Amino acid sequence: MTDESANPNRLAGRSSNSSSESAATASDESLLEQVRVQNQAAMAALFDRYGGMVYSVALRVLKDSGNAEDVMQEVFFQVWQNPQTFVARRGTLGAWLLVVTRNRAVDVLRRRKPSDSVDEVVLAAKENVAVEAEQRTLMEKVRTALNKLSIEQQQSIELAYFEGLSHSEIAAQTGEPLGTVKTRIRSALISVRRAFQT
Amino acid sequence: MNDYAHIPEETLALYALQALDPTESAVVRAHVTGCADCRAELASAQGDLALLAMSVEQQPLPEGARERFLRRVEADRPSAGLSIVPPRPRKRAAAWGGWLAAAAMLLLSIGLGIRMRSLRWRLNETSLQLAEETVESRQAHQVLDLLTAPMAQHVLLTAGKTPPAPSARAVYLASRGALVMEASNLKPLPADKTYELWVIPSNGAAPIPAGLFQPDANGSASVVMPQIPSGVVAKAFGVTEEKEGGSSTPTAPILLAGAAPAVGE
Repeated sequence: MTDESANPNRLAGRSSNSSSESAATASDESLLEQVRVQNQAAMAALFDRYGGMVYSVALRVLKDSGNAEDVMQEVFFQVWQNPQTFVARRGTLGAWLLVVTRNRAVDVLRRRKPSDSVDEVVLAAKENVAVEAEQRTLMEKVRTALNKLSIEQQQSIELAYFEGLSHSEIAAQTGEPLGTVKTRIRSALISVRRAFQT
Repeated sequence: MNDYAHIPEETLALYALQALDPTESAVVRAHVTGCADCRAELASAQGDLALLAMSVEQQPLPEGARERFLRRVEADRPSAGLSIVPPRPRKRAAAWGGWLAAAAMLLLSIGLGIRMRSLRWRLNETSLQLAEETVESRQAHQVLDLLTAPMAQHVLLTAGKTPPAPSARAVYLASRGALVMEASNLKPLPADKTYELWVIPSNGAAPIPAGLFQPDANGSASVVMPQIPSGVVAKAFGVTEEKEGGSSTPTAPILLAGAAPAVGE
């Protein structure tokens, strides 16, 4: 892979071919409609659009590039084989992919069978992460919100979200009461949510 | 929505995080299936988790990851198998002329292969563009035709009569270990099966069996003052179907479930 292709968000737009640019700018819905009729170019465009984010989330959880790529491949291949799994009422495609990827990565990390069906993942997310600039803005905003959390809240989110520990495991590891752990996680999530409501 | 108390938001957030124990997850799953309010709150929690994922620094893809994925997609196409040509048996070449001819053919084949792949790719791209431009137009015409068609049937849909759903009400006093449960509209069970009531402790301990019961001909049943330890603060109650004689641990799925409200609510 070349340096240029290392960044998946540039990949879709690098061709001078106008139809390639069309695929790069097409809506997620249009691309999914084409994936339903087995259009590989549409699938490639979705991969280019979200592959970097999906892989990065899997890598953040698993800390192993091979396993992270496996999870990424599994998530995108599921979209290829069952594009109808995602419907618009489940939120935006990018946000949905991120949640599904994080859950699958945690399953791999904990060496357990998939603990939920992707059909269960329904989001009330409005954020559109299809554009790279938008991704960068969102990332900065979430990071700012996370940095404002207390150390204990940050630790609880790290353990629950990125290391996949259960609330009772977090309580055992931190020596905090179960109720405190629950409240801490909840309040941390609320803080992040509020950062997007102002 | 059923008559049960809602799942606390903290618990829904943990459920979205997959941070609950399996039994707790089963209780939440059973509840949100029938509770629109909790489903909406769960969707909000999932949205929060998507935001957390967006905090992750973007990393470059491993070398060749894109190509590996697209090869897998290519191989998955229903017609992909048809294009596979079994390799010809190899023959010993008797002279350099034969090798040169083979090499030339190989180069030609590779060139043609690349050209064909490129053409196929451009064809896909073009069809994508055309399809996108025509989809919206086609749909708009279809909607207009439908709404203005004199022969179109206009039908108002309302909720129909549905069979009463199984439900149960439990009254529980933790300090005395006292519990009464009444259930209705239960489906009958085979002779070798029984319903079993469970108390789910709030401290994360294993569910406590709280009595076996069979519905009468009307689908009604009750459990009155089963033998359970006193002082157990309950987070939820559940009903499962078990083999005759009951079980010491609940067997999925949980048929009925309800979260216990905070004492005094």
